[in-house]
Order: sequence, then C-alpha cells, then structure tokens
Amino acid sequence: MSSSPRDISCHEALEHLYEYLDHELTPEVEAEVRGHLVACVVCTSRFGFEEVFLKFLEAKSQAQGASPELRRRILERLFLDPDVPER
Amino acid sequence: MDIAEKQAAFEREALIHLDVLYRVAVRLTGSAADADDLVQEAILRAFRAWDQYRPGTNARAWLLTILRNQFVNDYRRRRRHQEAAEEIAGDPNAVFMSAREVDPTGAFFDRIVDAKVLEAIDRLPEEFREAVVLVDVEGLSYDEATQVLEVPIGTLKSRLFRARRRLQRELYDYAVEMGYIKASAP
Repeated sequence: MSSSPRDISCHEALEHLYEYLDHELTPEVEAEVRGHLVACVVCTSRFGFEEVFLKFLEAKSQAQGASPELRRRILERLFLDPDVPER
Repeated sequence: MDIAEKQAAFEREALIHLDVLYRVAVRLTGSAADADDLVQEAILRAFRAWDQYRPGTNARAWLLTILRNQFVNDYRRRRRHQEAAEEIAGDPNAVFMSAREVDPTGAFFDRIVDAKVLEAIDRLPEEFREAVVLVDVEGLSYDEATQVLEVPIGTLKSRLFRARRRLQRELYDYAVEMGYIKASAP
C-alpha cells in the first residue's frame, strides 16, 4: 500500500481493541490502529494490558484433554462395531 | 468409500480433534462424566454423517458444530437454571482503569493459578462461556466461532467483549483479595 493509513482517534482505536488483538481486522484498519498506537502512549499501554490478559487467559485455561479410557471406548464403538446404531 | 477407508479417513481427520472436543465439552457441561458422554455421542454422530463432511475443509469447526448442537439438544434443556446473559445488569468497567496506577502491565495476572481461571470461565453465563472457550481457549477465528455457534459476527464480538470484561473484573477482584495487587483508590 502506498498511501499512509488514515489518522484515527483514541476512541476509534479502542473500538477495534479486541479485533486488533485477535488479528481479525482488515489490513487497512489494522494499519490505522497500528499507526495510532505508534503515536499514542495511553492507547499503547491499554492495548498492552489487554494483550497480556488474553495471553494469560489462553495460557491458564488449557485443561486436560480426553482420557485414554474415553479414547479407547470411542475407538471400540467406531471400529469394532461398524454399523454404529442410531440412538 | 468402503468401511475401512471411511474409518481411516475419520481417524486421520476427525479423531485428531478429540482433545479439543473434550475440553470444550467439559466447559459446556461442567462435568467430566457428562463431557465423556457428550463427546462420545458427538463423535458417533459425526461418523454417521461423515459423507456430509467435505475433505480438506475445517474438520475442527465441523465437529465442534456437531458437539455444540448435541449439547443444546440433549443437555442444555435438562439444566435447572439458565442465567440469561441479556438479563445481567451492565458490563463492569475495564480493569485497566483500576490497575493502571499500580500495575499497568498486568503482571498480577501471572500470579493467578489455572484453577481460578477455569472456575471464572465456568461461572460465565453460557452464551459468554462458549464464545470464550472457542476463541480464547481453543483459538478459533471469529469466522469459525460464528459457524459453530450459529450467530452473526456482531453477536459474537459483543459476547466476547462482555465475557472478557467480566472475567477480567472477577480475576482482578480475586487478585486484590489475595494481595497480588493493591486495590486502587476509588
């Protein structure tokens, strides 16, 4: 892209807070938000805090997966009994 | 496709997602035993419907959609009390505003143990919880999550926003209580 991104306000940047952190913005809007963050220490701090929160949430919510027992039961149902009956 | 081929394809493309299905099921049902049953039923249903799955498309989202429909049909209606997300009065303020004087980088979050985070997720109203579990815990894109939850993207964003606010507030309050962070002056 040759033209520089449009200037946006703190309010507008904050409206895109989570979409920005979730990488869900279009490249143009993402560039606008990034441009705002370069220029605004308050929003940089705010976005940084929210980013820490989301990473924390992901890291600390990784519960255990399926037990070996469940896996075995499912494989048995699926593959030893191919005509898995309708319930 | 003969049965051996079908089984091999199902094992290769669907069963690799068993752990994801189980983790989501635990958060939806709130119990390991119910999650076992829900996952087993969803997997058998998926196997029967396997010819409707288009190879190479998103098997994880497809399976989660089946799991979630199974949950809505079989489990949710059995629950005694459903807290409707819509009835909850106002969203809490952003925790950043409370924490920025004493801990603007959110270092206190790191002192909170996993069990507390999972408990806080489990206390969310179901509509919020399922959005958080899919996007924040399992890392689905908005697009995938709207497919699984069958809601418009605006609804998903709104639920995520509100769910994250509530989680933040609850975990912040806990951190204050535990002395991980000093409460800011009102």
